[in-house]
Amino acid sequence: METLSIYAPRLVTKRQSLTPGHRACSGCGEALALKFVMKALGRDVIVVMSTGCMEIISSQLPYTAWEVPWIHTLFENAATVATGVESARKALARKGASLPKAKVVAIGGDGATFDIGLGALSGAFERGHDFLYVCLDNEAYMNTGIQRSSATPYGASTTTQPAGKASFGQSTWKKNMPAIAVAHDIAYVATASASYPFDLMNKVKKAIAVEGPSYLHIFAVCPTGWRIPTDMTIRVGRLAVETGVFPLYEVENGKYSLNYDPPQLRPVIDYLKPQGRFRHLTPEMVDKIQQRVNKEYARIKEKAAQ
Amino acid sequence: MERRVAFESSFAIAEAVKMADIDVCAAYPITPQTHIVERVAQLVANGELDANYIPVESEHSALSACLGSSAAGGRTFTATAGQGLELMHEVVYVASGMRLPIVMSVCNRALSVPLSIWGDHSDVMSVRDTGWIQIFAENAQQAFDLTLCAFHIAEDPAVLLPTMIHIDGFHLSHVIEPVLLPEQEKVTRFLPKYHHPFALDVNNPAAMGDFALPDLYTEAKVAHDMALRNSIKVILQVWQKFGEEFGREYSPVETYGAEDADILLLTMGSFSEVAMEAIDRLKRAGEKVGLVRLRLWRPFPFEQFRQTVGRAKLLIVLDRALSVGGPGPVCSEVQAALYHLKERPQVIGFIGGLGGRDISVEGFQNMIHRGMDKASQGKPGEIEVFDVREK
Amino acid sequence: MNDITEIRWHGRGGQGAVTSAELLALTAIKEGNIAQAFPSFGPERRGAPVIAFNRISAGKPIRSRAAIAEPDIVVVLDPGLLGIIDVTRGLRDGGVLIVNSSKGLATVNSEIGGPWKLAVVDATAIARDILKRPIVNTAMLGALIKATGVVNLESLTQPLEERFGKLSEINVQACSKAYKEAVVMEYSPGVKKAEKVYPIEKSLSWKELNLGFVVTEMGNARSYRTGYWKSERPVRDNAKCIKCGMCALFCPEDCIHQDAEGYFEADEFYCKGCGICARECWTGAITMVEA
Repeated sequence: METLSIYAPRLVTKRQSLTPGHRACSGCGEALALKFVMKALGRDVIVVMSTGCMEIISSQLPYTAWEVPWIHTLFENAATVATGVESARKALARKGASLPKAKVVAIGGDGATFDIGLGALSGAFERGHDFLYVCLDNEAYMNTGIQRSSATPYGASTTTQPAGKASFGQSTWKKNMPAIAVAHDIAYVATASASYPFDLMNKVKKAIAVEGPSYLHIFAVCPTGWRIPTDMTIRVGRLAVETGVFPLYEVENGKYSLNYDPPQLRPVIDYLKPQGRFRHLTPEMVDKIQQRVNKEYARIKEKAAQ
Repeated sequence: MERRVAFESSFAIAEAVKMADIDVCAAYPITPQTHIVERVAQLVANGELDANYIPVESEHSALSACLGSSAAGGRTFTATAGQGLELMHEVVYVASGMRLPIVMSVCNRALSVPLSIWGDHSDVMSVRDTGWIQIFAENAQQAFDLTLCAFHIAEDPAVLLPTMIHIDGFHLSHVIEPVLLPEQEKVTRFLPKYHHPFALDVNNPAAMGDFALPDLYTEAKVAHDMALRNSIKVILQVWQKFGEEFGREYSPVETYGAEDADILLLTMGSFSEVAMEAIDRLKRAGEKVGLVRLRLWRPFPFEQFRQTVGRAKLLIVLDRALSVGGPGPVCSEVQAALYHLKERPQVIGFIGGLGGRDISVEGFQNMIHRGMDKASQGKPGEIEVFDVREK
Repeated sequence: MNDITEIRWHGRGGQGAVTSAELLALTAIKEGNIAQAFPSFGPERRGAPVIAFNRISAGKPIRSRAAIAEPDIVVVLDPGLLGIIDVTRGLRDGGVLIVNSSKGLATVNSEIGGPWKLAVVDATAIARDILKRPIVNTAMLGALIKATGVVNLESLTQPLEERFGKLSEINVQACSKAYKEAVVMEYSPGVKKAEKVYPIEKSLSWKELNLGFVVTEMGNARSYRTGYWKSERPVRDNAKCIKCGMCALFCPEDCIHQDAEGYFEADEFYCKGCGICARECWTGAITMVEA
């Protein structure tokens, strides 16, 4: 895990499908995750994107930060638009059109994936289209100003479920989106993080090699919404993995494997403490989160051992 | 050889879709539209149509998948009705703004509540402002012909706009009638291949679907508006070409017995043929009445419309939709179109045929007489719902 | 001044320009005036240039909701904006310009002087000293009040308390300190505004838009200089640099490239100054300094 030579970064392609000049916030972990996704995908790809931060920062008329074919239509339908692209290309190819090879990749944020577009995504998985869906999960509706989604973690303060005298912020546990993807019996599901770029890029390559639907769930640190300094993006992403809050795993044809399993997980407080969105949490609540993380982590480990 | 067959209108549309050799149909079942897509699915299953049928999980996804398909360069068809059209509503705007020439059959249906699966034009009017071409068919033959023409119009390089063919739910969709089917070869010659200049292509990448700041949004909307307004030229050309090839002629505003009429009734869709019967009867009784059938609803054919009705004394308009708390949508639009003419007919509006309510031949005779009475009494009123029980 | 005083705030997303405008409106309303505050509504991200507006009147109803094109007062929260945005555009003769800068009155005047009253304060230093972070909005309110008297300094205390709670005391301190430290150069009629050309994006006509608003010039966002956003920039110590490229790997802008000598150099044109490269550098070769 990330034990390649320290000079490994130099091996990453310099080619840009998502160009500089994009308007993401300073220190944006989502733009960074997207950069890795695009570098791993290469140029033979058609990108279908949901409305959200990554769409807004890359597409102000008459500009685009994209160098591959890209289409954005609405918030909740990227998976479906992707299935339309894939189906038409298959039909055209069958009927004799000479189309250059291209993988169809749909990309959405957690709001687009967990909430408003869940039905569309489920339909696309169920129908078995050949496409990759990438969820860039920054755990709230950041594009509209840090409103809670069903990806927001327990205890986090957001603008629509803020902490206050009568509230500790998010009162529900984060929806288990990878498990929902796995339940569709698709061939490849994986979690990844921009703090572990080589693992992330390998998973992108594995995901697009699969025939049929695949799902990649990427943890994307948002300094603006999580209220951390902009230079802490990578650190906080690493802490999420090292504390077991966001384990990195793959599910290949239903078989789980844990990609990074340190001998000892760090306490979750190490992850929660640097973040303004968790500033209000009491030790009791931190303990509750610790218990939950222990349980969830054990569950993944157990599945990986099967 | 041209074949004469007995076809339900829904099947006639599916036949046109087959002959157009579509690449993708993405659809979701809803009454009274289901017969169309069931038939398309069957044609695909039989191997008679080489297309991918995407059985999506909602109408929102039906049209969303069509966006992707059309943007990828595939000839694309879908069909819906009523609530289905409402669920895809936000996607409807996107298809036209992005200039994706999808053809969609809409089996005009009432909107909830109360739930009604039956026909009226509420759904049609709800998408009036979405920037699609909207064309009305009156019978099964027209449903076939106009669907075929729709692909030609929509995909014309000077148009590239999605097109709806409106057929009235049940009154047209579920009625079996004789239909003349042309030879496939002739259809293939008639219909050019679809090519989108910016189709998603890794060799010629393009970005589709940027957002616009206030500085550009107005310009974007005007570009779309001009494209829709200008599409009428191509619509006329395609219908003329169709007439030359297949012998049936279509026009944005059509009439029946209107040449010497002072009093005109305006209808849209399948009720027009019922109204023709009423016009015949009244003419036989010596009344100077005629019928105007608005075939092209969007772009609104201002010029043809003014030419057709400008000289009449009275124009009675039937709306099959009720704009709650407002005027009849067709009636108010017609009034606006005539407002600047120095000499123009008096316009009297009725609302009727809601939620599948029939209007009989006698009903249309009564409506025309009622309109004439109101006009002669100088009491046009804002709105009158025809055939409503007061007690 | 007119019946209605119009103020335009220039800052960067996250610096508090919008909050400044809000606090000023609250204060003016509390004093019995009529006032409005609003941001320029847009998709600006943290670090990107943003604008906010105020209108204040003693009694005349304020009806316009349009962006202010000819302000009486301009406040610039970020000195880095001076070179890239025409902050004094439309500023009325005899108006007031208030600038956050460490360069002092004379230098700022030579850069951006004109037929207006000029006030300069080092709000960043005040904020770093008192608030321990470079959020300059409350300090700039102090400077604005000193230069214009548009509201009274004391009236600001309550809105600050309501907005900042526990942190209100230090914000009041920052505000008062800036009020004391701001230096003012009076308006002298006839002075000309320095000629300077600012980048202007050409607006397209409807006929120039591609069909369906498609963009075919791929990657043309490269012409957008996000480097303007930064308040800090990375500086490399070549003695410590081992040319590993870790900084380039983790750059969200993908704007760090290897130069002829093999060093990884951030492209100033795009670098937003997030500091990830410095934080992630294995050998501590990169430090962030004021841009």
